[in-house]
Amino acid sequence: MLLNREQSGKRWHLRPDGVGKVTGKLQYLTDMTLPDMIHGRVLRSSYPYARIVSIDITGAEAMEGVFAVLTSKDVPGLNRFGIATPDQPVFCEDVVRYVGDAIAAVAADSPERAARALEAIRVEYEEWTPMDSTEAALAPGAPVLHEHGPGNVLHRTEIKRGNVEEAFAACEHIVAETYYTPRQMHAYMETEGGLFVPEENGRLHVYAATQHGYKDRMQLSRIIGCSEEDIRVVSSPIGGSFGGKDELNVQPYGALLALRSGRPVKMHNSRKESVRAGLKRHPMKIEMQTGISREGMIQAHRVRITADTGAYATLGAPVLNFCTEHCLGPYSIPHVDVEGISVYTNNGVSGEFRGFGGNQAIFAMEGQMDRLAEIMKMDPWEFRRRNMREKTDPGPLNQRILGTDGLSQVWEAMDRSELWQKHQHLPADPSLPPWIKRGVGAAIAMHGAGLGYGIPDPAGGRLSLNAEGKIEVAFSYEEFGQGLIATLEMMLCDLFHCSTSDLSIIIGDTDRVPHSGSSTASRSTTMAWMALQRLQTPFRSKILSVASTLSGIPADELITGIGGVWRKGQLPPAVTANDTTIDSRVVVSYADLAKDGEAEEWTFDTHFEYPTTPDNVVGGHYLYTYAAVAAEVEVNTLTGEAKLLDTRHVVAAGPVINPMGFIGQIEGGSVMALGFTLTEDAVMQDSRYITTNLDTYLIPTIRDIHTHLEVEAIEELPEGDPYGPRGIGEIGSVALAPAITAAIHQATGVWVNRLPVPRDQLIKPLDVPLQEGVNRS
Amino acid sequence: MSEPLENLWAAVVNGEERKLQIAQSTRLVDVLRTHLNLTGTKVSCEVGRCGACMVLMDGEPVNSCLVMAYQCVGSEITTIEGLHGEKEDELHPIQQAFVEEGGFQCGYCTPGMVISTKALLDRYPQPSQEQIETGLCGNLCRCTGYGGIIRAVRTAGENCVSSFTLITGEKKVNDL
Ligand code: FES
Ligand code: FES
Repeated sequence: MLLNREQSGKRWHLRPDGVGKVTGKLQYLTDMTLPDMIHGRVLRSSYPYARIVSIDITGAEAMEGVFAVLTSKDVPGLNRFGIATPDQPVFCEDVVRYVGDAIAAVAADSPERAARALEAIRVEYEEWTPMDSTEAALAPGAPVLHEHGPGNVLHRTEIKRGNVEEAFAACEHIVAETYYTPRQMHAYMETEGGLFVPEENGRLHVYAATQHGYKDRMQLSRIIGCSEEDIRVVSSPIGGSFGGKDELNVQPYGALLALRSGRPVKMHNSRKESVRAGLKRHPMKIEMQTGISREGMIQAHRVRITADTGAYATLGAPVLNFCTEHCLGPYSIPHVDVEGISVYTNNGVSGEFRGFGGNQAIFAMEGQMDRLAEIMKMDPWEFRRRNMREKTDPGPLNQRILGTDGLSQVWEAMDRSELWQKHQHLPADPSLPPWIKRGVGAAIAMHGAGLGYGIPDPAGGRLSLNAEGKIEVAFSYEEFGQGLIATLEMMLCDLFHCSTSDLSIIIGDTDRVPHSGSSTASRSTTMAWMALQRLQTPFRSKILSVASTLSGIPADELITGIGGVWRKGQLPPAVTANDTTIDSRVVVSYADLAKDGEAEEWTFDTHFEYPTTPDNVVGGHYLYTYAAVAAEVEVNTLTGEAKLLDTRHVVAAGPVINPMGFIGQIEGGSVMALGFTLTEDAVMQDSRYITTNLDTYLIPTIRDIHTHLEVEAIEELPEGDPYGPRGIGEIGSVALAPAITAAIHQATGVWVNRLPVPRDQLIKPLDVPLQEGVNRS
Repeated sequence: MSEPLENLWAAVVNGEERKLQIAQSTRLVDVLRTHLNLTGTKVSCEVGRCGACMVLMDGEPVNSCLVMAYQCVGSEITTIEGLHGEKEDELHPIQQAFVEEGGFQCGYCTPGMVISTKALLDRYPQPSQEQIETGLCGNLCRCTGYGGIIRAVRTAGENCVSSFTLITGEKKVNDL
């Protein structure tokens, strides 16, 4: 189904957080203030790599209006954080490893005073030469950044099967290429920050954005040296994250400053500080050799991945796992030899980012497919079809996966599409000047969801009828813009035929929600849906049985609806909450039901794990989403500018619960991928950022986006599929880059192997004669 | 207690006269967010690139991170909090259109987007694609991919024309 407002009909659901957002009344956590609050700032390293000789804070401490000055000596508990591997110091003790490293923090009664106090802190360094590339960090004799080496290796991966040497020897054609991808920045519009409030009862309230409040709470308790229950983390609403706020950022400093000063402390990073200290997408170098038989069947695939993880681990290892899994694409390949390495350097820290290493892998693998198809003089889409995995084939890691028709469905839908059909005979446009060239390209992807085998991936949720008579759900998922609250509303209204005014949705507050895992890896929608599937039956039968007792009507003649329980058949299909006759027609209202019995009797909890493959393959996924993307691109061969004219995303992710949210996620992901492909790179020189703000780090503006973009959703799942709608937070961003570079190749003849696409490669030298009226090379 | 004159800042903010004792080098964005607690105006890049801090100054859109207090003394400033429909508790047609078309996700760019859209539609009630792009290219959005925003601006254009008489001062004459 083509997704748009018209097609969506009644499912075009207005977001409950909309009015607050368009009026500016919604308070983000960085907007919060308290009357006696003070302002926190962090002193970051002057060098990417150095030994700290001494730190003198006396000047800062003596300043008027300064309430606290902290260094590593003031961390009561563990002076480290990191979701997977806690190796990042809250405050560096002796060595700094990147320019975002924190050395001290201050809190003062105005932001200006706090800034001046930072300047008064004297740090003496012994400067060392930074390892500004993976090559430098892997060179023999290179200094070692962390004890948990070997050397500067954070993590290695490997997939080997068959006999690659022999297979290559027997291949008819082999394509070898090295692909490079940029250090992309999340560039969420709201930079990191929040308010940290010591409460009278000794507890600490943290109002700061994260994708996993419980994980923050655990890490903060470790740093502070208190119990987790002593901390409350409120973590929504969030002004964008895309993976970038999953790790702790300002939270340790805000928390420690608040505890030391006994006052609420506000933190809010400037954009420059956010760039300097924040996570980025892993820059990767991916070398690929792929060999095919005379018939065009892939026989052998050799891959070497090198990822620059920067100074600290964060999720560098899982990202490399994901990249390794996805660099085989959705193809069946008998002989495989993949090795990946994630390397510590003195560059900015790389971590989790929408697509999670899939983007890099898919760019490379799909690039190979296009190059091979050209050698075969074969249609690139047909070439893919020949090599695609069968529905019942194992996954890329030879693990069992849940088979769906998603892959062939997205392939076929794209094959039929007008946009892709254009590829065959792109009409020359005589009205265009000869230096404007056009091309069409396409790519396909399978993308795993959830954290994968062997990694704890708990889920759950709570459904209750609260004292006010509202149907209340509580999850530890976060709203960072993706539309989670709207999606939950729609799921609940579908299940209970109720209206949004019957609902209370609670997220993002560790004091009020159960532990249901994190909002990451495109998992929240699926997990919330599965939790509600488990909870609905006990919840509904409790409601109907109490309603039956109160009304004397047999439970099986009753049904939940707007405002309360109705007699079956009397609940009209289209009733609205502001219909004044509802009260007289409901058998028992939710409010009356709630008065019957204790709160616990009305509360239902569930806990389970995200579905994983039964096979012992660490990081292997079980559920996949499928997508095909086509792109028509126009290249100006005088300026090297590439412009995306037309794009189509076909996504097979099961039923579309929330069409507005679905379109938004695919459009947003697509434009983010456009930036990844054409303009975005957080450039570092000698391990320092050159692009320090949004004036030099160029994300797409409204002028740079696709002139046209269509989203087609394939909603079918296998009959009786117990997992429901799959997440689509990432799938819109993973396959656009290879589609664009394929289109650029058709337009100009240039094979691009480096992102963002270097413009100079697309500029035709002046002495190459341009052909009038022909827009093809 | 009389403060030195140069520290007195006065302007009309959302129709109300506001006076403050502040340094004249304070940025307008801080005047609004910190001193007047009008946090609907957002702050993101602080270099005039993202548009999150957009407000109207005497009817013209400006990046409030680039305007100093002394530059806006006596002017009329409209922030997102100053925008509403015919009744004060109603949404402005632009805001309504953003809600209906899904012109936002995280919402952090939204106040600035709405303000820029207001300035755009004041000038071009039925903007062409080109005019939308020019009018909004100073506002970055990382979430939506702009699709929903463009649809919202178009819808708002249609709704504004029917429900509002537009200001047509000299500088706002449609020069299509
Ligand atoms: S904060 Fe003013 S333009 Fe970005
Ligand atoms: S909605 Fe998040 S930046 Fe625009």
